[in-house]
Amino acid sequence: MQGNDLAIDVRGITKRYEEHVAVRDLSLQVPRGSVYGLLGPNGAGKTTTIRMLLDIIKPDAGSIAIFGRPSTESGLLNRVGYLPEERGLYRKMQVRRVLRFLAELKGVKPAEADKRIDEWLQRFGLTTKEKDWGNSKIDELSRGMQQKVQFIATLLHDPELVILDEPFSGLDPINAQALKDAVVELKRRGHTVIFSTHVMENAERMCDAVCIIARGEKVLDGLVTEVRTSSGRRNVALALAVDSGTLAARENGVGHVLSDPRLVKRFDDNNRYFEIELAPGADAQELLHKLIEAGARIERFELVLPSLHQIFIERVGATGVETGMSGHG
Amino acid sequence: MDKFWVVAKREYLERVRSRWFVVMTLFVPVLITATFLVPAWVAAKAASGTAAHNIVILDATGTGLGQRVADILMRDTAAAPARRAAAAEPGPQVREMTQAQLAAAEDSTTREVMKPNSVVGYLVLDDSTLSTRRIRYAGRNASSIVDMDKVRSAVRQAFTGVMLQREGVKPETISLISNLSLNMSQTRIDERGKGGSGQAAIFLGVGIGVLLLMSIVFHGQNVLRGVLEEKSTRVAEVVISSVKPEILLAGKVAGAGAVGLTQQVLWIAISAYLLTNFAPIVLRSAGAPIANGSSAAIGISFGGLTIGLFIAVILYFLFGFVFYASLLAAAGSMVNSEQDAQQAAMPVMYLLIGSWLFVNSVIVNPTGTTAKVLSWLPFSSPIIMPMRMGLSPVPWLSVAGSLAVCALGCVLAVWLAARIYRVGMLMYGKKPSLAEVAKWVRYA
Repeated sequence: MQGNDLAIDVRGITKRYEEHVAVRDLSLQVPRGSVYGLLGPNGAGKTTTIRMLLDIIKPDAGSIAIFGRPSTESGLLNRVGYLPEERGLYRKMQVRRVLRFLAELKGVKPAEADKRIDEWLQRFGLTTKEKDWGNSKIDELSRGMQQKVQFIATLLHDPELVILDEPFSGLDPINAQALKDAVVELKRRGHTVIFSTHVMENAERMCDAVCIIARGEKVLDGLVTEVRTSSGRRNVALALAVDSGTLAARENGVGHVLSDPRLVKRFDDNNRYFEIELAPGADAQELLHKLIEAGARIERFELVLPSLHQIFIERVGATGVETGMSGHG
Repeated sequence: MDKFWVVAKREYLERVRSRWFVVMTLFVPVLITATFLVPAWVAAKAASGTAAHNIVILDATGTGLGQRVADILMRDTAAAPARRAAAAEPGPQVREMTQAQLAAAEDSTTREVMKPNSVVGYLVLDDSTLSTRRIRYAGRNASSIVDMDKVRSAVRQAFTGVMLQREGVKPETISLISNLSLNMSQTRIDERGKGGSGQAAIFLGVGIGVLLLMSIVFHGQNVLRGVLEEKSTRVAEVVISSVKPEILLAGKVAGAGAVGLTQQVLWIAISAYLLTNFAPIVLRSAGAPIANGSSAAIGISFGGLTIGLFIAVILYFLFGFVFYASLLAAAGSMVNSEQDAQQAAMPVMYLLIGSWLFVNSVIVNPTGTTAKVLSWLPFSSPIIMPMRMGLSPVPWLSVAGSLAVCALGCVLAVWLAARIYRVGMLMYGKKPSLAEVAKWVRYA
């Protein structure tokens, strides 16, 4: 990929702190117009990486280019929107004034900002016939409304690149849905979205490409489909229906079948849902047959690619999570 | 630079809009006015009262002595000439009579005095007064030392006039003598010679010092709280992703400094307005003689406040504010709670309070070594130098030099503060040690 096609081109960045290395020799390329996931356990260095992208902290080594230009270039960050993991706004300020201030900091003219603020407030239901929350102070808003305001602040200047740090943490299902819709819309309009998360399901559903990091180092990266096929494994997604009969069956029969090393290499038991990696040379048909014989009532039996979650667990491993936890994000 | 203005504008508008700002801006001038007017009013009330001229003079001397006394009393207590012309205050009523009528007149006047809202008392000048120098006074204010002094001295003056007339002195000369008033200016002399203009200079110098100290502490603490708020609400990270921390810091300090200047200009303007407009009313109600209602009447002299000094005060405020506010902002960025913030601000506040401890020796000796040294140090000169300038003249070269040192101090303070701020704003968790902060400065 050439520089101009990349929204972000990071080469060998390292950030050391007194006691540990937060990010070590990390390189990643984010194509323009893609939705990119930065995955890793807590403390893997995701936030540190994002802060370096935004020139909030300086890397000790390596280079960062945004839209093909060095990230320190003035005015470049006006094209970037950022939603930090720890969210907050000026509590005593009116919503409109906070938004106008943050938009002006991104180089939007006040009149233009006011116009866009009205549109966004309406779109997110913050101005209705009964009440215009735009004139309220931030601390008069509910938590959910504050999250909306913060999200508006991220997008108000119509950034070509949007960086969201753990955007789903703390969101209620309705706001999470709104956020997901907004990301999809940004992508449709050709904008680039990067978000960090440790929830693999979100990443798998939304991302075109991902990078998994642990202990400050890249574990793997690439398009989601490539990552999933490259393992060369065959998985079965199995869901069981629950009734009093199957509860007993599970205890005896199903557990017995899944422990058969000729058929199953390993499986991830989620109680009702199983992600099963077939043993080399095993026949999925035979597994299905045995499960039915064992008395399982099957809701779903599907040959699938391994999930990001499973790849993540396999590649990062329990040790990675634990050592990573002691770090600084 | 655009972003600097955006930050400064927000800082300015949000602070000026706050209820706190409005309350303080109105309250302080009222307080200042009261500080000047209440003692002045009390003094004026004591000095004149309304009583001494609201009396009846029973004159049986047949020499016009009563009228003379009345004129003198009137002149001493009269307020604006316009008011006298309007005859709102009739002044002492002189009733000339014979010795025989005196007893009856005393009786009727006593009854008059007993009625509320009428004359407060009467003075008796009988036919023996000129020879025996005995006068009598009876009235509601007979126990007022001030009033009695007034009456006594008015009669003494009138006596002098009558006696001079008897000696054949020309009436114009008599009038000149009895209208003689003195204007004394007080100048201090100490071991170094004439020490400025005495009381007024001390008043001006200390006033400037207190104002500067208060403003710097006040608005500096505001910057600290603002930084702490940005940090604890976590809005800092969003802001820093749009604007460099150095610019954010500079914008905040500039915005808050502009608030300080606005407030001071309003304080001075409102105080001046209140003093010039209310002082005459208040003092007139106390019955004080005021020529034209100027602030001079209540003993405030702005004579020492020249344009040069005014500009110097503004410049020193700006430098002092930038110096302390940036350091306080750095202190605010290091911590996460109000308590920790006060502790982190301590070293900075010590510099400021420490400078204030020397104020006394500067007042006593504004050209001494202590004063000279302190007016060259960037952390004390913003307070000490303008104060010295108010107390006694300082060569302009020294002022320019000290301002240059101040500017240099500001550059250093801002540089140091920006480095601490840059790291501190994103540091959560325990309060950093001094050694850690030193590391931030080195690595930032």
